[in-house]
Amino acid sequence: MNKKIIIVIIGFLWVVIAVGMVLSKQQTLRTGKTVVLETVPVDPRDFLRGDYVVLRYKLSSLDMNQIKSIKSYYRPGESIYVELKPKGKFWEATAIYEKKGDTINGLFIKGKVKYYYDKKLEANYGIESYFVPEGEGRDIERKMRGNKSSVSVEVVVDSSGRALIKRVYIDE
Amino acid sequence: MIFSLIFWLVVIYIVVRLFFRRHRKMYRWLQRELPSWEQKNIINPEQGNAILGLYKLKRIESRGKMDMVKILTLVGAIFVGLGVIFFVASNWQRIPAHLRTFMLLSITLSTLYAGYLFSYEKKGFVQLGKSLCLLASLFWGGTIALIGQIYNIPASENWYIILLWAFPIVPVAIFLNNDYVHILASFLFVIWNFLYIVNNSVANYYYPVIIFALMLPTAKNLIISRRINIIGLVSASLYCCFNKYEWLALFISAGLLAYYFIQKEERVYLYTACLSFIFWTVTFFTVREQQPNPFFLLPIGFILYLTYRDDIKENLIICLVGLMIWLNLTLASLSQIWGYEFDPLNFIVFQSFLGIIMYNIGMISKRRGYLFFEIYKVFSYLVVFVCTYLLSFRLMLETGIGKVNQVYFYASFFVAAIIMLLMIDEARGGHFKNKDVRLELGALIAALIGNGVIAINPQLISINTFVANAILVIFALTNIFLGVEVKRPYVFTMGIVVFALFIITRYIDVGWRLKEKSLFFIVGGLVILSLGTFLEKQRRKIIERMRA
Repeated sequence: MNKKIIIVIIGFLWVVIAVGMVLSKQQTLRTGKTVVLETVPVDPRDFLRGDYVVLRYKLSSLDMNQIKSIKSYYRPGESIYVELKPKGKFWEATAIYEKKGDTINGLFIKGKVKYYYDKKLEANYGIESYFVPEGEGRDIERKMRGNKSSVSVEVVVDSSGRALIKRVYIDE
Repeated sequence: MIFSLIFWLVVIYIVVRLFFRRHRKMYRWLQRELPSWEQKNIINPEQGNAILGLYKLKRIESRGKMDMVKILTLVGAIFVGLGVIFFVASNWQRIPAHLRTFMLLSITLSTLYAGYLFSYEKKGFVQLGKSLCLLASLFWGGTIALIGQIYNIPASENWYIILLWAFPIVPVAIFLNNDYVHILASFLFVIWNFLYIVNNSVANYYYPVIIFALMLPTAKNLIISRRINIIGLVSASLYCCFNKYEWLALFISAGLLAYYFIQKEERVYLYTACLSFIFWTVTFFTVREQQPNPFFLLPIGFILYLTYRDDIKENLIICLVGLMIWLNLTLASLSQIWGYEFDPLNFIVFQSFLGIIMYNIGMISKRRGYLFFEIYKVFSYLVVFVCTYLLSFRLMLETGIGKVNQVYFYASFFVAAIIMLLMIDEARGGHFKNKDVRLELGALIAALIGNGVIAINPQLISINTFVANAILVIFALTNIFLGVEVKRPYVFTMGIVVFALFIITRYIDVGWRLKEKSLFFIVGGLVILSLGTFLEKQRRKIIERMRA
């Protein structure tokens, strides 16, 4: 095949991937519902993308004695759908479902099981990192050390349970 | 178990370094020198080919020196690419996020097009074109990372970013024949595999499929890329031991073995297939609650056959280590069934007996003119030496008390019985008449009886310490006399090394208990320096005499 055609195809493929990535995230932001979640952050450094704040949510660690669940055991890496309901200022987990169809009309967030042990389930929801300009991560960490500041995150959740961070609030 | 695996990997490495590197260096020297001999009409090309054929070597193509332009354009591309990635990492927010993405994507595509122009349209700038394609591939990684950063894709999903970086640059590597991009993509796939396994806690079957179906066939003559992919596969297989991905390890092993048949000139496929099968059998053992793996004997038997058929001596060591690990796993499994704990003393004695039996195989192979007798001897010598060296420590003997593992104990004596039978057969054949055989057998019998005594009476610590040390001295002396007898400098040097190691270890062993540490180090240093100088002088003299 002509090398010029190949280079055009490769360039087109790269544009499609980049634009596709942006559009899929924009779609979530445009169509999703905004909820506020409670967090406890720390500050590492990502080798690839600079400073970021690690966010840990109240719903990152679920006590199976306190929320509804169909299953009694979850494998690491398994997908879960966690139902969210507002409780005061924040949204909290109320039930865990194995499939998207199991949830009835409510808002749910899609997560992945990290581990399950002794009726405690640890999960990730794809909203555990918040990128900040270089050097600012340390400042945020200093503010939050010793629970001196309250931190909450505005998250957008779309109809398929995919979540994206919209804003991080410190003492607001 | 894992420590045992690491221990044997270290043993393989030492043997390969000690034994094969020496030959490889000589072969490389010969390959480099031959063309100059031919140019000076010392030999003709036919004679040159005959010499190369004798050592099963290929003629090396005269490589042009790497020109300055090539180095500069490559380094420049890497610097600029890394600069852009660091710029993305700094999360500079004065330009709106989407404008930043658009700008970076535009620069990426322009660089790619410039790479094409210099590679194919403008004459005489091929190297610059290739470097620009590499730069575009690095920029592409920056673009993807930037989008990930804008939307806060978490660090736990970096595998996804790396995959989106690696896959789209593969067409650049394949269709534009860009070796640098192929190497970059291979490297990125290795990183992706580990991030994927760590973050998803599942076996990644996609990785071997991508490598076997896409990266290895397109690597063609690109050795660096091929090696990166093979190392990636073996590392993935090793990782299975820690994560219980039994079928993934088997899949990788079978794939590597199949590739050996496709590209026979690349022997590394056979080595790595053998290593991967060893990792598979360890994984099998851990997954199935310490059940031995009888199926391992099928692939290892077949690989052993290929090793002999294709005369690949390095692989014999990996096979021997594999068989030893398998045998130990089987005994560990039986120990568990009968409720015996791990017993370090009997474990080490068993390994030393396995070493002795392998040495016997080496002796028989030499007498019958079979291949690889030297490999058996060198490898098994190291095994017996390491085991006896460990047993020569009083502390090691003390840990063995009260933990007798009958499975290992009886297995040791079963192996000892086989050794006796082999020796009796040797004696009946009248092969003890040669002085070198008598020397070798003397050392073997000393190790057999000595280590056997230690296994039978583990409570006699002082006597056992003396016995193990006596065997070490016998080893050193045997090597020295045998080296002179068979005129092999490396056998003689090994004897000197064993002797020096024995003196130093025992000095530290005893001296460490003294209160006066400064005196211990000063005197010890002086003794070692004088001993080293004396031994080195003597060694050189004797080796020169041997060569004369």
